[in-house]
Amino acid sequence: MNNANKATLQLQLDRSANVRAVVKQFYIYVVLALIVLVFSVLKLDKTPLFGRGSFLSPDSVINLLRTAVPILTLSGAFTLLMISGYIDLSVGSALSLSAVVFAWLILNGFSFWPAILLTLMMGIGLGAINGYIVMKLRITPVIATLVTLNLFKGIARLIVPKGVSAIKSSATQTMPGWINDFARKEVFLGLPAAFWIAVLVIIVLVIVQRQTLLGKYAAAIGGNRLAAELSGINTVRMVWLLYIIVGFFAALAGVARASYMSLGDPLAGEGMELDCIIAVLLGGTAFSGGEGSVAKTIVGALIIACVTVGLMTVIPAFWQTVAKGSVLVGAVVLNHLLVREKVKA
Amino acid sequence: MDTKQVQKLLTGGKMSDESFITLFMIGVLVVAFGLASSVVPNFYKPQNMLNLITNNWFVVVLGIGVTFLLITGNFDMSVGGNIALTGVLAVYFCQGVNSAPNPLANGLGLPYPIAIGLALLCAMGVGAVNAFFIAKLKVPSIIVTLGTMMLARGAAQVITEGAQRNNGLPDVFGVLGSLGIPGTTIRLPVLVMIALVIVAFIVEKRTVFGRRIYLIGANPEAARLSGINVARYLTALYILSGLLAGITGVLLASETKSGMSSRGTGYEFDALVVTLLGGVSIAGGFGSVLGMAVGTIILSVVTSSATGLLLSVDWQFILKGAVTFIAILAQRFALDRRKG
Repeated sequence: MNNANKATLQLQLDRSANVRAVVKQFYIYVVLALIVLVFSVLKLDKTPLFGRGSFLSPDSVINLLRTAVPILTLSGAFTLLMISGYIDLSVGSALSLSAVVFAWLILNGFSFWPAILLTLMMGIGLGAINGYIVMKLRITPVIATLVTLNLFKGIARLIVPKGVSAIKSSATQTMPGWINDFARKEVFLGLPAAFWIAVLVIIVLVIVQRQTLLGKYAAAIGGNRLAAELSGINTVRMVWLLYIIVGFFAALAGVARASYMSLGDPLAGEGMELDCIIAVLLGGTAFSGGEGSVAKTIVGALIIACVTVGLMTVIPAFWQTVAKGSVLVGAVVLNHLLVREKVKA
Repeated sequence: MDTKQVQKLLTGGKMSDESFITLFMIGVLVVAFGLASSVVPNFYKPQNMLNLITNNWFVVVLGIGVTFLLITGNFDMSVGGNIALTGVLAVYFCQGVNSAPNPLANGLGLPYPIAIGLALLCAMGVGAVNAFFIAKLKVPSIIVTLGTMMLARGAAQVITEGAQRNNGLPDVFGVLGSLGIPGTTIRLPVLVMIALVIVAFIVEKRTVFGRRIYLIGANPEAARLSGINVARYLTALYILSGLLAGITGVLLASETKSGMSSRGTGYEFDALVVTLLGGVSIAGGFGSVLGMAVGTIILSVVTSSATGLLLSVDWQFILKGAVTFIAILAQRFALDRRKG
């Protein structure tokens, strides 16, 4: 009798643990589906489900994916860094600076390839600076990257001439029209090259996280840095490399943003660090690192894109900050519940 | 004096590391001021020296809360948003009911003291929300307070519809911000700042509460085991930081007789920078309010001499960043040398 009771209890425990595991595995897809559903049903009285002006119309979907390119490009690398237990708050400024530099190069007669290569090299440099300050000078990541956030922002604003808001056509210089091609011109399925590159980046980073040593090392460092060091991982070099990867993709995202807007706006990446954090938290990566999933972060990034674009059509602009803040706090709570459950199970 | 004596003076004695760093930063301040005076015309004039202190009263007031929190190893990035929210709320509570057709000119029509009290309560509420997430749910403070910063500023934007409220205010609203010592540029907010620094200094050095903050920062586990309710201390500190941001918000709103949703943008970074300049270390239980005040003057010497040299405002971001890094590294170097 007693044994039977125990067995039932064990079964119940197993079952609830299983339920939790399943919830943890799939909730993010449900959240995304629900958000898409809500926004597409909202205007059903005015237009049919896939009709012109609705959330799911081909135009609107293409537009959504095009505007989501920067966060799709960046959030995967950001996840790897957070898995290793580190953070980079300067990504938004690095993105802005890259957008400004890329636009400045194009405006001053560079053609596409040299401009993008130089910008990406600069991105590597920005990441290397962050990595150096955090890993070599041993300044706390939050403080170090908050300071570089302001450094990069200052440089971006200095590059933009006095009296104008961004790098763009002026009386003496004209921005070539082809700057748009990268992030707007259709390549395949109505979507531009920048989007397909972002998809490629995501695939590569998912493989890096799941199949390569870098991915395993990142999780090991985030799980227990000392243990990782003692088992022979060069943590300084690994995390530095992750900072460089983040800087590189911040620059790529900046190029995409500059190309999309056909100007170099020093505010282009404002708040991108928060978007990345939200995406990572929604994706269930633990705050302290050690585990996480690039693929789920990307779903989180899509959620942010849907919420941003969807809300714009429903509520006035001055509600946006509250909305995003609520999403962030919601993501924090959700993440707390899920990660806690993991610890207990 | 031979070198050994100098070394003994620097390394030995009874001076604590905190006092040493504060003195070190005062030395840096003197050098920075000397450099600035030799490059920027009229920099050494008394009026300018006074301005260096009085123009940044809000950074010092915010810095008090941020310093205590950073000593415990936690951030508060919500103060800038909180300033905007409190200022906007104070205006909204005060504006007359149905006084004008413009919706932004209508408020709740509460008496001024009640309006201020409610606004300050809301500011402390933001602090309480921070504390709940950080002390109870154990979420990293940087993420939580960035979130509440957005919520607070977002709420301010909603109340002002993305702009500002400045119509239909009673005259009494502007009094607090305009009071001052006659014949000088010293106004009430500066006096508030001085009073708060003195109180904070006494709390830090002379009370059990103050000393326990250091213990929590140095070793939270040891603090918990020795019977300190760490969560309660963090809650008190976050509510205090919220209150200080609220006071700043109310005073700034009174000074300009308006509630702007964009007010206080970036102040959270300034407060953090001066705290770091003052030698507070997030690594554990180290730093002082007095050092933070010195840090504020250093920052204002640097930024105002940059303005004096006609550098554009955009340089300030770079200067603040560079100064912070140099300060952190210099302090670490000095402490290492001192330990020998």
